[in-house]
Amino acid sequence: MTDIIAIAVILLVVGAALGYIIWAKKKGRRCIGCPDSKGCSGNCSSCQGNCKTK
Amino acid sequence: MRIALAGNPNSGKTTMYNVLTGRNEKVGNWAGVTVDKIESPLRKKYSVGSEGVIIVDLPGAYSMSPFTSEESITSDYVRNARPDVIVNIVDSTNLSRSLFFTTQLLEIGIPVVVALNKTDITDKRHNKINTKLLSERLGCPVVSTSADDGKGVDKLARVALNSAGGTQAAPFVGKKATDRASAEKADRERFAFVNKIVSAVETRETKASDLGIQDKIDDILTNKWLGIPIFAVVMFLVFQISQSWLGAWIAEGIVFENGFELYGLVTLIDMLGAWVAGLMEGANPLLTSLIVDGIIGGVGAVVGFLPLVMVMYFLIALLEDLGYMARVAVVLDPVFKRVGLSGRSVIPFVIGTGCAVPGVMACRTIRDERERRATAMLAPFMPCGAKLPVISLFAGAFFGESRWVGVSMYFVGILVILLGAFVVNSVTGYKARKSYFIMELPEYKAPSVSKALISMCQRGWSYIVKAGTVILVCNFAVHLMQSYGWNLRPVENAGDSILATAAFPFAYLFAPVVGVVAWQFAAATITGFIAKENVVGTLAVCFVGLENLINLDELAMLEGTGAEIAGVMAISRVAALAFLVLNLFTPPCFAAIGAMNAEIKSKKWLFGGIALQLGMGYSLGFMVYFFGTLFTGAGFGAAWMPILGWTVVLVFTLTILLLSLKSKRQAAEKADAKATATV
Amino acid sequence: MTLLNAENGKTYTVKNIETGDAELEAFLFSLGCYSGEKITVVKLRKSGCVVLIKDGRYNIDSALAGAIEIE
Repeated sequence: MTDIIAIAVILLVVGAALGYIIWAKKKGRRCIGCPDSKGCSGNCSSCQGNCKTK
Repeated sequence: MRIALAGNPNSGKTTMYNVLTGRNEKVGNWAGVTVDKIESPLRKKYSVGSEGVIIVDLPGAYSMSPFTSEESITSDYVRNARPDVIVNIVDSTNLSRSLFFTTQLLEIGIPVVVALNKTDITDKRHNKINTKLLSERLGCPVVSTSADDGKGVDKLARVALNSAGGTQAAPFVGKKATDRASAEKADRERFAFVNKIVSAVETRETKASDLGIQDKIDDILTNKWLGIPIFAVVMFLVFQISQSWLGAWIAEGIVFENGFELYGLVTLIDMLGAWVAGLMEGANPLLTSLIVDGIIGGVGAVVGFLPLVMVMYFLIALLEDLGYMARVAVVLDPVFKRVGLSGRSVIPFVIGTGCAVPGVMACRTIRDERERRATAMLAPFMPCGAKLPVISLFAGAFFGESRWVGVSMYFVGILVILLGAFVVNSVTGYKARKSYFIMELPEYKAPSVSKALISMCQRGWSYIVKAGTVILVCNFAVHLMQSYGWNLRPVENAGDSILATAAFPFAYLFAPVVGVVAWQFAAATITGFIAKENVVGTLAVCFVGLENLINLDELAMLEGTGAEIAGVMAISRVAALAFLVLNLFTPPCFAAIGAMNAEIKSKKWLFGGIALQLGMGYSLGFMVYFFGTLFTGAGFGAAWMPILGWTVVLVFTLTILLLSLKSKRQAAEKADAKATATV
Repeated sequence: MTLLNAENGKTYTVKNIETGDAELEAFLFSLGCYSGEKITVVKLRKSGCVVLIKDGRYNIDSALAGAIEIE
């Protein structure tokens, strides 16, 4: 019984972590968790003011 | 509707942006903090009924004729993206300079609202500005604000929202310039116009030319003899406080004289692990191990260093707010000039102590392409926040009594940067050109403790998020790979696991650095490329708890066979130091490499930079081990290790020498060609 | 004479700027540093000096100081 709970917990925790990573990458975040990453796309000097609002 | 914040660097745009949007973007008391455009919706409390208002923060600019790349971001945005309103943040302590840009903004035809910012300082100095008259002469509304205290912000928002949709007349129209001479003439007229306004509008009790306390402080801080030692002391204090004093106390806890123990974070995490292990009694030991050692152990090891990281961020935030950063750039300028860089590179390096990614981004403020590229590839040599756990782990575990070892790594980082800059110069054929350095010295500010606390919590939270996601997944994978063999069956002996066998080839490569063939260390270094904290996490997972790293008995029981693995536990202090040096100066995490790629914009330079980092990290690590072992009189693991080590070092140095000679020859050929052409 | 020969605490007028870098000179202009405008030397050192241009303090190195002629 404990085994099943353990496996469920592991899947939940690791799955949530993976899910967050995928979600953040989709949102365009450079580094997970970095507070500066929202503006950090790295290529904005070529943007010329035409960046669309996300 | 979009409202753009434009103005001189360090005038308070990002501070205002943070107040208006409720966000917490990076601010710092020096010119060049914001290097990119950023936008976010206006807070409801300032929206006054308007919907969908977006505030756009722009990098600072002194004029619409762009000098640096950030200035061009601003001028391009304002001219091409046509925001609905421009809020011109003006530093009221320097009206005569600020209004130059203001008059240019007023010519565009977009409604402008001037926010006369930093009025807290002007009020303290009893300097008065007639805002009504200024508004008349400029032809636009003028609102007094003090973004730092949040004063005047709602009025500013109201006026800005009301201005949308209107027109803007320009009080001064610069004549269209066809060449440099006429452009200069037009600018002179513009300044003449500005000067007239300023003299009518401003009454100063304290003239800017009056020498004050600030100048006396600057005198000492940038003094030829005192400046660098003072900087060294400041750096020492920042890292000592975070690694050995306050940070360590919170992490490890304190035992008082009467025996009462205040639990530290590390103890609490251990207790959590033990509690969960208790809960899982009777469960499959593999599962227990996966949760307790893999997840809790790995992530816990990293999170255990959270207090150190937070304290460091707090102290650095205080220093940045103070205005000291610009003075550091001035102090180190002569030092960096010797290796072909300048004081401009200092700020990216200092930012790099937090995270290499924004440090590399900050290189945009460097105009010279070669300097910019060199700084971008050297910035990761400065230990970042993610490397702090690695430093603290090794310094703490192996050099417990001499905690200064950890702090010294930051100084070593600076030395490596200087060495690296020298290498970059000789390889790229740099010839001492006239390089001009000018740095604005901002006013000193009493650093805001509350803002520093907020910044600290923000970064601390990011650290936790990273630990709970990226590091967690990595540790989980590492533990799985360490527990199972290629046949997907659990292994008796960790040395037969997927991880061990996959890491073995690299273990041979790294053996010269640590004196043993240890797959655990190889695996740790490799996972470090995903996130440097993984070096700590992976070691914790592989050694089932960091205490086992130097605990001979426990580990011998767990790991068992293999002369190589048993040897690991006796890894000497020298080897630990060497391994630390290796991990500090190898290429940074992939995210930072990505940032390097974006800034360097040249595959040749990028790969050169990565090669430099690989070579440096390995060579330095090996030489620490080699000379350290010689010095302490211990024996070497096996003869082939130093041989391999020296081979790599030789190949690295020879490559550099050959490339340098090649570029010297090319330069000489160019000079010859020039000479014959002019004849 | 250039800023390198200036005295601490005195205010001068910029006569000419010779850096050979047009963009740099345009930048200095936008700060208010151009011929005919006042510049105050706050502190002069061998490695550079701190100057006051239009209420702003800047540290410039000796190369730049030598390129700014004053009277």
